[in-house]
Amino acid sequence: MSAAAEQPLDLAARLAEREVVVCAGSGGVGKTTISAALGVAMVAEQDRRVLVLTVDPARRLATALGLESVGSEPSRVPAAQLKKALGAAPKGELVCAMLDQKSTWDRLVARLSPDRATADRIYRNPFYQGISEAFVGSHEYMAMEALYELHTQREYDTLIIDTPPSRNALDFLEAPTRLNDFVGARLLAWLAAPTRMGFRAMGFAAGPFMRMADRLLGTDVLEDLSSFVRDLQLLYGGVQKQAREVYRLLRAPATGFVVVTTLEPAPFAEAEFFCSKLHEFSMPLRALVVNRVLPDALREREAVAAAAALADASSAARILGEELGEKVTADTPKRIAEAFTLLSRLAERDTRQVARLARLGRVPLARLPLVDHDISDLEGLSLMAAGLRGRATV
Amino acid sequence: MAARQDKRVLCIDIDAKGDLAGALGSPPVGFQPRPVQPGVHVLQLIPEESLQEYLQIYYKVPRFARMTPLARVFDFVATGVPGAREMLVIGKIAFEEKRRERDGTPAWDLIIVDAAATGHFLPQIRAARAMLDLVKGGMIRSQVEWIDAILSDPQRTLLTVCALPEEMPVVEALELSEKARRETRIRVGACFLNRTIPVVLTPRQRRVLESMGAPEHVDALSERFGGDVGAVVQGARLSQRLHDNGAAHAKRLRAGIGAPVVEVPLQVEARPGLATTRAVASALMRGEASLS
Repeated sequence: MSAAAEQPLDLAARLAEREVVVCAGSGGVGKTTISAALGVAMVAEQDRRVLVLTVDPARRLATALGLESVGSEPSRVPAAQLKKALGAAPKGELVCAMLDQKSTWDRLVARLSPDRATADRIYRNPFYQGISEAFVGSHEYMAMEALYELHTQREYDTLIIDTPPSRNALDFLEAPTRLNDFVGARLLAWLAAPTRMGFRAMGFAAGPFMRMADRLLGTDVLEDLSSFVRDLQLLYGGVQKQAREVYRLLRAPATGFVVVTTLEPAPFAEAEFFCSKLHEFSMPLRALVVNRVLPDALREREAVAAAAALADASSAARILGEELGEKVTADTPKRIAEAFTLLSRLAERDTRQVARLARLGRVPLARLPLVDHDISDLEGLSLMAAGLRGRATV
Repeated sequence: MAARQDKRVLCIDIDAKGDLAGALGSPPVGFQPRPVQPGVHVLQLIPEESLQEYLQIYYKVPRFARMTPLARVFDFVATGVPGAREMLVIGKIAFEEKRRERDGTPAWDLIIVDAAATGHFLPQIRAARAMLDLVKGGMIRSQVEWIDAILSDPQRTLLTVCALPEEMPVVEALELSEKARRETRIRVGACFLNRTIPVVLTPRQRRVLESMGAPEHVDALSERFGGDVGAVVQGARLSQRLHDNGAAHAKRLRAGIGAPVVEVPLQVEARPGLATTRAVASALMRGEASLS
């Protein structure tokens, strides 16, 4: 057992004290489901108003949480449904919302533009539509932007943010500065300058850049781009201030990161990297959740020995037949042993990662068992929530 | 697998955080194709490098100009112009497709692209169309047109969708293939359903399994087989439930994807890398992967 795992296990109670809980980890490890389950676990026993902001939940899970589509209003999970799933009335209130990237961008522009005319010009520019998709890390930035908005509004005691699926879990940590760099880059000023003087007035004799840009893209594109850049620069002061504030919030004592991983080598390696980066960024890791843990029994010597006997002994079918009082075909024990051994070998492979858990950080850790079905309703979330509260772990 | 059939294969990793080279037993590679296994080259696609190469080939801009304001402005354009960054990615792939040896034969028999995650992939594929809408003139337009032609020709380009036998990945695979059909002209050639549980017990074998776990038998069997038969029963049950859950998703995938689905059995290797890649290739060649 790792040092991390020796800590008390009621993650929900510990995390409920935080104003912001960021669930992070590699794609496909169950972050969205765990974010929702954490919300359920918190309101089960804490009298708090908790909002879970999900990014892209599976449809059935979204439906269970009352979220029909992107852009829909935050939805309160009815207390009666929670009571049924938990077996007791929840003490707090759970609200779920889905990140709407486009409207978050629009609100950002509206808030940071010096006036309505600038915002309208930006909305109309053909580059604006594209940039919200093309801008690297846009999704990640918008998750942070939505977090900032919600935290400023102070309608909820705790915000649980499910971070976007990403092969690089760091994208969202770097997102605030990336937009800052992007909008503030000195080269933008350089690109914006020609419009002030007038492209056509310059006659494109100004230098090799303009000649080449014109050959490549055509004049109209450059004019649109230049106008867009000029408007973006009006937002620069606001973006810079906000980037600082988002970083301050992510480093605040009221914030907690929960790193979610499985024991598979690749996601685990990413979780290790992520934890080290959190440390480097001075952002507080508060808990680890290891999802889809295989039962320890799969690795036990006695079980492996029995499987070997079933697979190996030519007499296995006869012994089974005698004991069970029915005819057992020769390949049956072998196939049963193979079915076991497949998972047993996976469990064995995972032990390498179990041994490294302590190195991720000396924080509370919850291990959630592998389940053989998708978690797509409140009952499933409640079981997972019980695991997060230390009531049912493997 | 293609290289084992004497094909010259180029693997292109689009995602900067991907590890295609690692999966082929090589340390990280750069922007130029590097041999990593017999018949297999890998390159890591870096849009900035792609831009440098593009400017060098078509506009004779020397590579040392990369730090000048000119290159930095193009970096901005590549980031800000809808589809520009994506075009640099797709453009490099198309460039490799057109690459010829001195005798005029194609440099590669097969180019395999490890594309970005689902959400980022479609913008890349749509980029050529978006660019044609945006750029009405200039030299880029004709280049975009030939790139678009390569992508639209099913003899030259096919999309293979990869999924896991779980709810969310299957939904994403179905959505991706539907959107690819509706919004692009690239054809969906096949779908790989990875990590399926390869051991399936027949109903009769499952009945035996349940009898083995019954309280009146399990202790006696444990004694006769010299181990914990109860744990074996639990493990085998779990694997079958995982199989059944995955099979339901696979069924939904087959019904909706509109292309052959190749099931790739779960490989249990200590860590991802060449051993896992070889195991998957061998499973595919032995026909263990089932086409349905």
